[in-house]
Amino acid sequence: MKKSFLLIFASLILVLAACGTSENGENDGQGSDGGDEKEKLRVVTDAAYAPFEYMDKGEIVGFDVDFITAVLEEAGYEFTIENVGWDPLFVEIKDEHADFAISAITINDDRKETYDFSVPYFESRNMILVPTDSDIESGDDLKGKKVAVQNGTTGQEVVEEILGTNNKNISKFENNNLAIQELLAGGADAVVADNTVVLEYVKNNPDKDLKTVEDPNFESEFYGLMFPKGSELQEDINEAVKTVIENGTYAEIFEEWFGKAPNVDALIDQQ
Amino acid sequence: MDFRFDLIAEYGPLFLKGAFLTIGVSLLGILLGCILGLFIGLGKIVQNKWIALPFAWYIHFFRGTPLFVQILLIHFGVVPLFAGTTNALLALVLSLSLNAAAYIAEIFRAGIQSIEKGQMEAARSLGMTHRQAMRHVILPQAFKRMIPPLGNEFIILIKESSLGAVIAAPELMYWGRAMQGQYYRPWEPYLTVAFIYLILTLSLSYLLTRLERRLDTK
Repeated sequence: MKKSFLLIFASLILVLAACGTSENGENDGQGSDGGDEKEKLRVVTDAAYAPFEYMDKGEIVGFDVDFITAVLEEAGYEFTIENVGWDPLFVEIKDEHADFAISAITINDDRKETYDFSVPYFESRNMILVPTDSDIESGDDLKGKKVAVQNGTTGQEVVEEILGTNNKNISKFENNNLAIQELLAGGADAVVADNTVVLEYVKNNPDKDLKTVEDPNFESEFYGLMFPKGSELQEDINEAVKTVIENGTYAEIFEEWFGKAPNVDALIDQQ
Repeated sequence: MDFRFDLIAEYGPLFLKGAFLTIGVSLLGILLGCILGLFIGLGKIVQNKWIALPFAWYIHFFRGTPLFVQILLIHFGVVPLFAGTTNALLALVLSLSLNAAAYIAEIFRAGIQSIEKGQMEAARSLGMTHRQAMRHVILPQAFKRMIPPLGNEFIILIKESSLGAVIAAPELMYWGRAMQGQYYRPWEPYLTVAFIYLILTLSLSYLLTRLERRLDTK
C-alpha cells in the first residue's frame, strides 16, 4: 500500500520534470533556425500595475509598453507582449519560455543570481499609503501595525526589514489592488508599494481619504528588463535602451504618462 | 534539477502552521456547512413552493458562482459590513461553509429522496409521526448513502481552502506563495504544498472509508 503510493508520487514528479525539458527543447529549436533573420520576440508582463502596464479594454497598455515598443523598434525586432501574471513571469523567464520580461521589475542582487537584467530604465522608491487620519509618519512607525503588500515585491522587502521576515502583521496579497482594498476595508493600517503606483491610485481615487508618506530611508530602486541567464539578446536590446534614453524618446514617453520630466541623468549614472 | 531542500526546511515551520490552519478552517467549514446544508436541504424539499424557493435560490447562487469570487466578496464586502474591519480567517471560514452548504444541501436532498416511499408509508402506518419517521427510519438510511458524496465534498473543501491565499489568510497555500515570492522558485514550494494537501486528503479518505465500513449493516 505504502510502496504503491510512493511510486505514484515519484512518477508524478518525473512527468512534471519531463514536461519542463521538452518545452525547453522546443524553444531552443526556434532560436537556432532563426539565422540572420530576427525572430519575433515573446515579451511577458504582469498587466495589473497601472500606469506601467495594465489592461485597457483587453489590450495591454502603459508606460512600459510604450517604452518597450520604442526600444524594440530601435533594435529592429518584432514582438508580442503577453500578460502572464507576476509570479508566473519569473518562471517563464527562468525556463526560457519567453525572451524577456518588462513589468516594473526592480533590479536587485537576489534576482541577479537567477536572471540577467538590462541597464536601468526607471527610478523608483517605495512609498507608504495610509488613511488621512493615520499617525504613521515614517517607515519606523509601521512597527506593530498591520501592513498589506504585494507578494514578492520590494515593498514587501522594505516592510520585512522593519517588521521581520514573515511577520504575522504583514499580509501578502496577489497584487497591489487587493492590498489597497484591504487597507480601505480596514484590515490593514498601511500599504507599502512603488511610489508611481501609489500616487496613481491616490490621483484616481480622491474620495477615498488616503494620503502618502515618504520615508527618505527607503532606497532608490531601478527597474530593468529581465532576461534569462546568459541571454544573447541582452546586448542588442541594452544598446537600444541606451539610445532611446539618450535621444529623448524616453523623456517624451515619460512625460506622456507621468506629466513631468524624468531624471534622465540619474538613469545614465546607473549605467 | 537542483531541488533546494534547505529552503523547504526554512519554511517547514510555516508550512506546518499553515497546514494546521488549513485543517482548522476545513473542519469548521465542514461542520458549519453540514449544519447549514442539512437545514437548507430540508428547506428545499418542503412541499410549499414559496417556502422552498429561497432555499433553491441559495443553492443556485452558491453553486453557480465561483468560490474565488465569493471569497473576495465576503472578505471585502460582507465581513467589513458586520465587523467593521476585514478578517481573512473569518471570511475564509464563512465562504467555505456557505459554499459547501449549497452542495451538502443537494447531497442531503438526494439522500433523503433516494429512500423508497414505502419506508415512510410503513413507518407512518406503525403510528409514527412524520418527524419520528424522518428521524428514526428515513435519515439513518439516507445518511449511509450520503457518506461517499459527502466525502467527495469534504475533500474538495480542503483543497479549495487554498483559495484563502488571495485574501492573505495564512493557510498552507499562502505560505507556499510567500515562499515562491521570496525565492522565485516554483518547484520547492508548490510540490511541498501539493504533497501536504495530498496527505491531508488521503487521511480524510481513510477516515471516511472506516466510517463507511463501520456503518455497513451487511
